[in-house]
Amino acid sequence: MSARQAIQVGTKTVKPVLSTTPGEAKRRVLNLYKAWYRQVPYLVKDFDIPKSEEQCRAKIKELFLKNKDVTDIRVIDLLVIKGQIELKESVNMWKQKGHIMSYFKPTEEPKPKDFLSKFFSSNE
Amino acid sequence: MGMLKKTTGLVGLAVAPNAHHTLGALYGKIIRTLQKMPETSVYRRYTEQIVRERAAVLSQTKDVYELEQKINCGQAEELIIQAENELNLARKMLNWKPWEALVAKPPKGQWDWPPANP
Amino acid sequence: MSYFLKRTIDAGRNIGQQFLNNAKTTALQRVATKTDQAAPQVETRPTVAKLDPLQKSQLIDFGKYVAECMPKYVQKVQLTAGNELEVLIPPDGVIPVLQFLKDHHSAQFASLIDIAGMDVPTRPNRFEIIYNLLSLRYNARIRVKTYTDELSPVDSACDVFKAANWYEREIWDMYGVFFANHPDLRRILTDYGFEGHPFRKDFPLSGYVEVRYDDEQKRVVVEPLELAQEFRRFELSAPWEQFPNFRTNPATEEVVNPAEGPAKK
Repeated sequence: MSARQAIQVGTKTVKPVLSTTPGEAKRRVLNLYKAWYRQVPYLVKDFDIPKSEEQCRAKIKELFLKNKDVTDIRVIDLLVIKGQIELKESVNMWKQKGHIMSYFKPTEEPKPKDFLSKFFSSNE
Repeated sequence: MGMLKKTTGLVGLAVAPNAHHTLGALYGKIIRTLQKMPETSVYRRYTEQIVRERAAVLSQTKDVYELEQKINCGQAEELIIQAENELNLARKMLNWKPWEALVAKPPKGQWDWPPANP
Repeated sequence: MSYFLKRTIDAGRNIGQQFLNNAKTTALQRVATKTDQAAPQVETRPTVAKLDPLQKSQLIDFGKYVAECMPKYVQKVQLTAGNELEVLIPPDGVIPVLQFLKDHHSAQFASLIDIAGMDVPTRPNRFEIIYNLLSLRYNARIRVKTYTDELSPVDSACDVFKAANWYEREIWDMYGVFFANHPDLRRILTDYGFEGHPFRKDFPLSGYVEVRYDDEQKRVVVEPLELAQEFRRFELSAPWEQFPNFRTNPATEEVVNPAEGPAKK
């Protein structure tokens, strides 16, 4: 799978995790994205979460785009592996409703931005 | 001596019907595999030494108990397992070529302990 | 017939067998007698472990033996705490060295006791992966150490030892070291959805999130942790730094060091 070849990262040559070229890494990311996308209806139904399919898809897109600036192939590979593990946990129903809902963070209050709201929140 | 061995006393390890024959065949295979390695290989030298010694004991003895006592490394069935392992190892060694020079030197300070000496 | 680690006092292991002492002299045994005469000090302090010079010389010889047999993979062999043999190898050598130690006639380290990880952020490769092996045949233990960083995969030892499966999952979970060709690499200790690797030195003691039951949501919710900054200190120095023995009395002694010339011992 890996071991034999080597890839170029920055100025040094290192052992690849899975992919040897940026194109391959990109393909893995897209495959993972599609896999998540296809599972959305089942996840919504199985976990009985109070979210619509559109909201879930938007969340998946948001989480993927959070890492859009990553360029190192090995970092991408590791993120893809973690994503795959997470997908498996969700699809096999190892997770519970709370774990799925924690992607949406409904109880988190947004951080105060302007002066006045900072002032009010600091004075609790 | 000369009585029939009924059990090895170890779970899952059946009595070998013809231990001398099996061992002889295995030792021959190991020696043949080792001969594909270069003469300078230390692994080859030591393993040959061990296996030849055992094979010599094997050829001198007729009885299984005597063989076990002379080799002194467990029962005949265990000796067979050891020989099988060594054979598999030797075959893998042909791919790994461990007699070559060191593949990678450790980066400087990699094995230092305590770390980061002031 | 094996020349190392031979324990002659293990009667009663096999039925109806006597163990004969290994009376043959070999080149390696002569080495053993030479190292025997090195340090005849006797430990008299009652709280300090007694060292067995015979065992030590056997370990030294076995360390040399491993280094000789696998010069491609052994970077260094050292003895820690007087009677713990350590073989230091590059990450490429994990499978060959473990397989050799497991299957070779005079090693037979057939059981994998543990795989441990270690994080030293100042080193070039911050993680150390440590394999502890036990040879039931020769009543001996050995430790194999290798190194890696956050992104370099290490070959999984699952093909050699079945027991490695969960230990490697644990290391993946705790340190984030990826094991290539592992059959079932997933989390084992942390909760689903947990982010980060808790045993890394840069993981704060308090963690990043807190978990509580929410009455309105009727389920457990995860929220980012809010703490005053001073509780989130990163403590990187070793806690035993204050003891003078830590720096002045290194616990290890070199046996073989092919990377830097012949051994000093």
